[in-house]
Formats: sequence, structure tokens, C-alpha cells
Amino acid sequence: MMTALPTLAVKNAKKPAWVTGHGKLAAVYLAPGMLGFFIFIVVPLVASLVISLFDWPLFGTPKFVGLENYTRMLTGDPVFWTVLGNTLFFAVCYTVLNLVLALAVSTWLHNLGSWGPFFRVLFFVPVVTPMVANALVWRLMLTDDGVVNSFLANFGIHGPSWLSNSQLAMGSLIAMSLWQGIGYNIIVLGAGLNGISPNLLEAARIDGAGAWQRFFRVVLPMLSPSLFFCTVMTIIGSFKVFTQPYLLTLGGPGESTNTIVLYLYRNGFSFDKLGYASALAWALFVIVMLITALQFSQQKRLVNYDN
Amino acid sequence: MSNNRVTGRLLTAAAVAALAAGTLSACGSSAGSSSDGGKEASSMYTWISNENDRAQWQAFVDAAKKKDPAFNLTLEGPSFNDYWTKVKTRLSSSGAPCIITTQAARAQELKDLTVPLDDMVKSNNVDVSMYNKAMIDGLTVDGSLRGIPYDAEPVVLYYNKDLLSAAGVKEPTPNYTTAQFTSDLKALTKGGVTGLAVPPGFGAGPGLPLAFANGNEPVKDGKLDLTNQGLVQDQQFAFDLAAKEKVATAPQASDGSDVPEQQFMSGKAAMIIDGPWMYDTLTTKTQGKVGIAVIPSTSGQGIGMIQGSAFAIAASCKDKETAFKNIMKITTPEVVGAVGAARGTVPSVESAIKDWAGNKPATDVAVVEALLKSGRPLVTTPTWNQVETNFTQYSGDGFRGSKSAQEILSTIANSAK
Repeated sequence: MMTALPTLAVKNAKKPAWVTGHGKLAAVYLAPGMLGFFIFIVVPLVASLVISLFDWPLFGTPKFVGLENYTRMLTGDPVFWTVLGNTLFFAVCYTVLNLVLALAVSTWLHNLGSWGPFFRVLFFVPVVTPMVANALVWRLMLTDDGVVNSFLANFGIHGPSWLSNSQLAMGSLIAMSLWQGIGYNIIVLGAGLNGISPNLLEAARIDGAGAWQRFFRVVLPMLSPSLFFCTVMTIIGSFKVFTQPYLLTLGGPGESTNTIVLYLYRNGFSFDKLGYASALAWALFVIVMLITALQFSQQKRLVNYDN
Repeated sequence: MSNNRVTGRLLTAAAVAALAAGTLSACGSSAGSSSDGGKEASSMYTWISNENDRAQWQAFVDAAKKKDPAFNLTLEGPSFNDYWTKVKTRLSSSGAPCIITTQAARAQELKDLTVPLDDMVKSNNVDVSMYNKAMIDGLTVDGSLRGIPYDAEPVVLYYNKDLLSAAGVKEPTPNYTTAQFTSDLKALTKGGVTGLAVPPGFGAGPGLPLAFANGNEPVKDGKLDLTNQGLVQDQQFAFDLAAKEKVATAPQASDGSDVPEQQFMSGKAAMIIDGPWMYDTLTTKTQGKVGIAVIPSTSGQGIGMIQGSAFAIAASCKDKETAFKNIMKITTPEVVGAVGAARGTVPSVESAIKDWAGNKPATDVAVVEALLKSGRPLVTTPTWNQVETNFTQYSGDGFRGSKSAQEILSTIANSAK
């Protein structure tokens, strides 16, 4: 009796978890999800990597070209660098403005009292409204004779072509995107603010800290996990910007609002260059992965998880 | 007890998985696929932007039913602008329709999606010579016919007679010159009215129809020839109408063709270059009486740019013979004539023009007939969708004068090789 127990324990320890009683059950429950993950994520991922090595029209015979699509992207296609620059510009401007404004608004709402929830809902409504509908409304507002210019005309101001002027078109897209997306960060940061113990702020006040000091020395460090989450998600989202330029400007005028996902979409589905589009998708993946990895590498230094 | 519970859970999990798999397979087969392809042979993928489009396709079915009451055609498809992108993905999926709509201008681009019809034309004793020659030429790719045309539509100049009269401008003559055109547009641009409404696209004009009128085409020997000096000059002339002469409003890239059409119909623009397929809409919905004229040219002896559409058979079709027979039922002189009379499309068969002419003013009919005789088809290349997409994206710069036609057409020519 005394020797049997250790033998059984050794036997069970050798078996993988998924063949034991509860492990089997877990495997059965996980199987549909894993199957879906494999079919809809892993297979397309590998397929796109393979396709990126081919000159692959949707119809017609694919031709193996090795790394030619990547070489062309990096050295022979000036549009790639333009759309990459546009995407970076959008990502930086959108992320910075989004976080600063969301932080300001959520702080304001946090101190607003009973009207806070009402305005929070108001800011969140655009997030749950379909992007396509929002974009079409903004397009109507920003046309040469749209609502915005009609409003400016009341003050004798001849409004510019918001969507057709190379200098203003990207700014218009950023403004529309902010209106659409800022509510999400307001909710997340608001939840973070609610989680800060009033005792901490009270202690800081007793220690003689002013409003700005309390904000920068207490609120911001305690809010850093929420801010980190918002920053990572907002940057990833901004690199994938597509609907706004597709519906508002079609990437124009010229290439001024063409973004990497719009360019990728066009190459794949309008210009019938699936191989090149796949190479662009992988370039986007690598860029986003590097930026996200950089953010996570700084997480310990910048984010305070100490309660 | 414990074992029973685990077994029970396993059975539950298996039942859920089976249910999920069943649902997935049911969803997967919802598109419907018949083993013999008979259903697909009576299905058509086409552009259906609105009820007006659907009514037009239904007119073909209704006209064909007069001869064959059992005839039917199921329709599906996106808007016209999305069609050229989505048709490729739709035809690569299972249960795709056998009949697709194409254009002479897109025949090259869609050649891998469609099958040559020559053998079926021969075996069914179809007389192709009854169809408009320019359309047949445009639909011929690498020596083989890719579609049976149902219309042949030379692009025309629409003008608002009331606005011309109010501005003291004479109606355009059959020998309309670009100098007179510019002068007229200047006279018409006043009091919140612009001379010409322009769309941002290339084929929709005004640059390309004006180039055609002067004998300049975008394709030479099957290759893009966007930077030939004639075409560049004509496109620059079109850009300058907005950028320098200020007789047109510069379009936005995201404007569809409906935006300039609305400008014309609401009386904010006095002229518009558009296809005869818009005749009924523009003549009935415009504030003021509408007339049509030839596209102006430098010499006044213009050449028409013929656009038109056709029915083709998808390469993926399993029952091509049935699909071809269905196409022939909706492209007879009687059917295209009846659709022309009901919906305003100019029939692809000359003998059916009289049906289209109906109660239209003789001068308008004469313009279309003259352009059909002198016209040439808009023949393009397999990369035409890229040309159109890029031109739309860049045209704002051209119409605002920040880039020249030479710069824009060179950029497009380089990227769409």
C-alpha cells in the first residue's frame, strides 16, 4: 500500500493534462474554438505568407517570384513609402490627440457629478454607431457646400475644400476619427479614475499637494495601467485605418490620404495583385508588432501596478 | 457517479459540437449549389445600385418572357462602382452565377473571368453582324468574342435649354467646336450657375470623351497610351475648365456620378457630359428643358466615344450552353428594342433603334445616330480598374490646378503598367 501511491502519482505526472479525466473534458470544450482558430486564423495567416511569395492574380496562373514583392515594396514602389508615411502621421496625431482629449474629458466627467453619466453616454454614442454611416454624414458635412462651410459663411468666411485640399484632407480624417473613437478611451480612463482610492488623493491634499501636483503625482501614476492599455489599442487601431479614407476621400487628393490598409485592399481586390497585397499585409504586421513590442518593453518602467 | 457525470458532459459537449458543425455546414450551403449547374445558368451577377437598375434588368426578363413564358433570370449584385471589384471575388466562390454583365471597356480586364463565345455563336447560328460593330470590336479580346452586347451608347453632351436661352447662348450645332464650347460655358457661368458639371472619374469624362472627339485614345496596340500628347492636351483642357476658366466646379474624389447629375438636374449646372443611358432621367427630372448634342472637338468634326454593356458567361460556369441560350433570349432585336423603349438604353441592334427613338425629339435621335455611325469603342487594358481608381484619386488635384494632366497621367501610366 505504501509503495502504490507514489507509482500512481508518477504515472499521472507523465500523462499530458489533456488525456486525464478533466483534461479530456477541457479538450472537448476547447476543440471547436481551437478548430475555428486554426481554420480562420492560422490557415489564412500561413496562406497569406505563401501568397506573398507569388505573383498571384485572383484568376489566372500564380507565378512564384520569391521575395520580389518585398523587394518591389521596399525599393521600387514610391507609393508604399508615401502611404506608410501617411499612416504613421495619422497614427501619431490620432493617438496623441485621442489620449490627451480622452484624459481631459474623462477627468472633467469624473468631477461633473450627476451629469457625468449623461455626457459619458453622449461621448460613447459615436463608438457604437456604424463607421460607414458616420463617414457618410461627415462627408456630407465637409463637402464644399456642406454644413461646415455653410456655417462659416454666416461669419463671412469662405470655407476651404476640407476633403479635396491636400493640406486639409488628412486633418479632416483625423477629426472625424477622433469624434468616432474618443468615447471608448473616455470610458476606459473613466473606469480607471473611479478605481483610484479617494484616500490617496485626500492624503496628498493633507500633505499640501495642489491640484496639478495631485494630478501628475497621484492620478497619472495610478491611471497608468489604463493609459497603457488605451495607448496600445489606439495605436494598433490607428495603423488599421481604412473606412475613413475609403469613404471620405478615396485616398486622394493625389496620395495625401492613402493609408497602408487602403493601398493593401486596392492591390488585392481592385488591381488583382493578391501577392503584393499579402506582402503589404505582412509589412503592416511587422510594423505593428515591433511598435507593440517596444511598448511592452517599456511597460515596467512606465506603468505602475502597485496599489 | 463521477464517471457518469463526465460521460454526460462529454455527450453534451459532443451534441453542442455536432449542432455547431451542422449550423456551420447549413450556413456554408446557404448560397445554394446545384450539382448540374442548372440554377446558376439562369442566374446573373450584375450591378444593381437601386430600384432603377433592378427595373432595367427586369425589363429584359419581361421582354424575353413574351416569347418564352417559362424564361426567368435571378439577379444579384452590388452597386455599379463596387461591381468591378466584387465580381472577381464573387465568381471565385461556389454557386456563382453563370451570366455576368460586362462592358466593351472592361472586356480586357475581365477576360480571365469570361469564356470565348465564338464556338457557341457558330453552333447556335447567331448572326453577330446585326450587333453594333464598335461594340463587337470592343468585346473582342485576343481575337475571340467575350460578350453579346445589349446596348451601344455614344457619350453625349446634355444641355439645359432654359439656362442657355436665359444666358443668350445658342444651342450647340452638329459641328460644335471646343472654342465655342468654352465661350458658351463662360457665358453660362453666372448667378450661382456653372457651365459644366464634372465627375471625378476618367471614363465618365469630360476629359476622355473630349479626347475621343479629337481622335485621341488611351490605348494603342493593346497597351496603355495615357501620355500621348493629344490625350494629355485634351485632359488638360478639361482640367482647365475648372482650374483656370472657372466654368465648372472641381469634383471631390468620393463624388459618385450622381453628384454632377444632381447639379445638372437641379439647374446649378447648364451642361453635363454623360451617357444616353441617363436620357430619361435627365430629361424628365431636370429643372428646365433638356437637349443633347455631340461632344465638341477642336475641328468641330467629332468622333463619338461608344460605351456599352454586354452579357458574358463566367469561366466557372458548369452549363455554358444553357447560359448562352439564356443570353441569346435577352439580346434579340425584339428584347433590346423593348428595353430601349421602356428604359432608354440605346439598343445594340440597329434595326431596334426605332423602338428606342419612340417619341424622342428628332434632333436628339439624330445626334445619337450620327455618333453611333462615327463612333469608336472605348477599348481598355486589363489594368483599367487601376487607371480609373487612380484617376479618381488624383483628379481633384487636376481640376484644382495643383497638378498638371501630364503629371497625373504619367503617374497613373507608371503604376498601372
